[in-house]
Amino acid sequence: MRASPRRGPRKASLVLVPFAAFVGLFLLYPTLVVLYKAVTPGGALGFDALERALSGTYRTGFINSITLSGTSALIGGVIGLLLALTVKSLRRPAWLRPTLDSWSAVASQLGGVALAFAFIATIGAQGFLTKILKGFGINAGDYGISPTGFWGLVVVYLYFQIPLMFLVMMPAVNGLRETWREAAAITGSSAFRYWRSVVIPLLAPAALGGVLLLFVNAFTAYATVYVLNPSGALVPLQIRFLLQGNVITGEEDLGNAIVAWVIVLLLASLIAMTLLQRRTLTWTRS
Amino acid sequence: MATVEMVGISKSFGSSVALEDFTVRIRSGELVCLLGPSGCGKTTALRILAGLEKADGGRVAVEGLDISGDPPERRRFGMVFQDYSLFPNMTARQNIEFGLKVQKKDAAVRRSIVDRMIDITRLQAHADKYPHQMSGGQRQRVALARAIATAPRVLLLDEPLSALDAQVRETLRDEIRRLQLEIGVTTVFVTHDQHEALAIADRVGVMSNGRLEQLAAPRELYERPANSFVASFIGTVNQLPARALQSDRWQVLNRTVVGNEAGTAGVEGVVAVRPEHIALDRSDTGPWTIESTSFLGPMTRLVVTQPGHQPLLVDLASVEAAAFPVGRRAQVRLRDDVGQVTVITLAPLASRKSS
Amino acid sequence: MTIEDVAARRGVALSTGGTRHARWRSVRPASVVKSAFIGMVALYFIVPMLAMARFAFQNVPMALLTPEKLFDGWSFSGLWTALSDPGIISATKTSVLLVAFAIALNLALLLPLAIITEVHNPRLRPVLSAVTLLPWVIPPIALVVGVAATFRAAVPWFLASDFSLVPFYALWAMPFTYRALDAGLQAINARTLYEAARTMGASLTTIIVRVIIPNIGAAIAAASALTAAMVLGEFAFASLLLKTTLPTEMVNYQRGDPRGGLALALIVMILTALALGLVVRSLRRRGLTVQTAGI
Repeated sequence: MRASPRRGPRKASLVLVPFAAFVGLFLLYPTLVVLYKAVTPGGALGFDALERALSGTYRTGFINSITLSGTSALIGGVIGLLLALTVKSLRRPAWLRPTLDSWSAVASQLGGVALAFAFIATIGAQGFLTKILKGFGINAGDYGISPTGFWGLVVVYLYFQIPLMFLVMMPAVNGLRETWREAAAITGSSAFRYWRSVVIPLLAPAALGGVLLLFVNAFTAYATVYVLNPSGALVPLQIRFLLQGNVITGEEDLGNAIVAWVIVLLLASLIAMTLLQRRTLTWTRS
Repeated sequence: MATVEMVGISKSFGSSVALEDFTVRIRSGELVCLLGPSGCGKTTALRILAGLEKADGGRVAVEGLDISGDPPERRRFGMVFQDYSLFPNMTARQNIEFGLKVQKKDAAVRRSIVDRMIDITRLQAHADKYPHQMSGGQRQRVALARAIATAPRVLLLDEPLSALDAQVRETLRDEIRRLQLEIGVTTVFVTHDQHEALAIADRVGVMSNGRLEQLAAPRELYERPANSFVASFIGTVNQLPARALQSDRWQVLNRTVVGNEAGTAGVEGVVAVRPEHIALDRSDTGPWTIESTSFLGPMTRLVVTQPGHQPLLVDLASVEAAAFPVGRRAQVRLRDDVGQVTVITLAPLASRKSS
Repeated sequence: MTIEDVAARRGVALSTGGTRHARWRSVRPASVVKSAFIGMVALYFIVPMLAMARFAFQNVPMALLTPEKLFDGWSFSGLWTALSDPGIISATKTSVLLVAFAIALNLALLLPLAIITEVHNPRLRPVLSAVTLLPWVIPPIALVVGVAATFRAAVPWFLASDFSLVPFYALWAMPFTYRALDAGLQAINARTLYEAARTMGASLTTIIVRVIIPNIGAAIAAASALTAAMVLGEFAFASLLLKTTLPTEMVNYQRGDPRGGLALALIVMILTALALGLVVRSLRRRGLTVQTAGI
């Protein structure tokens, strides 16, 4: 279509083929095999593996994982969004925004081993904060604030959830034009009405999409929780048990089934997220 | 309908002065354009009028009542922004309806007003579209409808046409004027485009460096610019050397005309002369040579030169210009019908003679 | 009513009073709340780092720590011990090689693809952008099961080497690598550059090597830095396939020497953060944004 109408597509396929082969071999092939095996436990079509993957301890695992991811996504989402709005409204320290931008890009990557270590040193039994709180007569463990407790994990996850939400929301928040507020004010609208009828409807899809991304992010986090509480009843840890103990046949089918459910969950979340973000995009592009 | 006064307004941003002792009085139902190069303070003046910016000093009054301390939402104005500023989550209809909802009008009233606004801005086909589904011109018509739906006391337009392409700009410009006359709302229109300002305004305020240089009807502005800035900013001018005679008389080319400033007799000066006010005479020994011509339809613009002089721009009717092909020599003179009006002193300085 | 309002009503210009008044108004309760909120968030991010640094570098057990002893016993000895551990040294080597191979593989696959697509088939761009997002949907913890079910049975020798991780790491680096390259190409108007060079008779290879690649160096650097950060932080996949990389070895090592382990983790984290921060900032200065979300 351009300078070389016939050679173009041929060259494109020359570089497209290795790429497609690579993605096919290392990503699609293993994934499709797992999905296929999940619906054919023991070699025949059937859904008992998929059912078993959602019953008993595995059901608990899914519920725990969804609760933990959902809670950390909601709290992280709210704080991250507030942070983005606050930073936009504060112009004063000029360094604030670039610093937070860079820091968030970094901190949203900081999941994993180091983060777990940092929180052991902070809210672990011998942690810095634990000790300080004890000085005030507060036993943090009683409130679930220990690296193995539910709220402890939420606190740890927030460390990468808040910056991630900040990063995701910053473009949408920056897309709020000053002239919208001014136009509303001149029309006689109160700040409250402006927020209710313009800001909230505009930010809601992006914020919901952001929370879904945070949910996926937390659901698939493995390193942090493995270091903090390897025997916890969370889906990633259960996958580990099944994977390392695949001596008994049938356990393998169960692993495949759990992964199948995980993929369904992630796919649904990410599709919903993309749709929500597309909506924001069409709005803010104009 | 309301009169608007801005008196002695000053405003600085940090160390840069945006407005200095800015005063303008606008009559009821009038359309006034604030015109000037970017950074001249015209937008700041509009924003202070709207209440979006707080003046450092001076006062703003509508119908004689001081509103300097009122926040924008209590001024009952309407405003159109350069970037349309439509709420992207609302359709055209909802955008127009927004201010009426704020005013707590009931549904039937809102509906009839919105319908009327859609009719007069010719948006019938687009009423239920979202901003991103509309063209720039359509969006700006929605913004206009939104601004006038609430029956504002004053309509403010901040470079409403700058983001549009030429053809749409002209149509919408005329439409704004038609609507303004129809509803008779006092209007302040900020622009940097002089053609726009001259075509649409009852009076134009030319601004530079935070000051109002002249506020006058378009024709007066063109024919009797108050000073050199206005003369050179509006339209095209030639700078011609001139000699001051007694009182306000000046010798320019072949004629004696009245200038808007008096010079001491014998002093050399420079005056501004519009290209259409210079005539050419064919003369094989004339000092001027036709260097180039550009055909502009009814008119033709010629560039004529003489060694040691600045080139002159001369506008002739195209019929007349046919007699002056490139290379032809000529003599220049001031047209007979030029009286006092088009000639003003630029700088009565002998040193400018060489330029 | 404020002084300024009164003055204005009387037609008095209060130029100095006006600005002072405006400045006073900008310190409203709302902005105090905002600053306090930012302060609290900052505290939440800083305290764990300080606690980690204290644990790593202060040789005083928490039980014995009193306010007076806050500055006693600080040393880097734990870090030096950890850094001289043979296990850590070899794991670091493995991880550094993994980083290099993953970057190389990724660029080899995506750089020509991104360029040719942009130059010849811009209509393919949205397709590629969607395909390169796929690895997102299948995170390590899910893909590892599939890999175990397929490669472990079919080609057992493949999973024996530590470097079998390379293709998978390249895969997870794809979303941001492709986006960085694409943004870089858009920013330099690669198609126009290509057409300009073509009219001067340059071949496609010449154009790619001499014109386009030198101009998207920043994008390549960004993609590489993000890949490095991802590989140096990836734990799940390596651990579940029983590979010894820096993150997995750090967890092992920490069990025997908590202090040294934390010191090491802190240093790796700081270095990664610094490198990433530098890349992000240098890109911002060029007007490019980096998509780091969602690994």
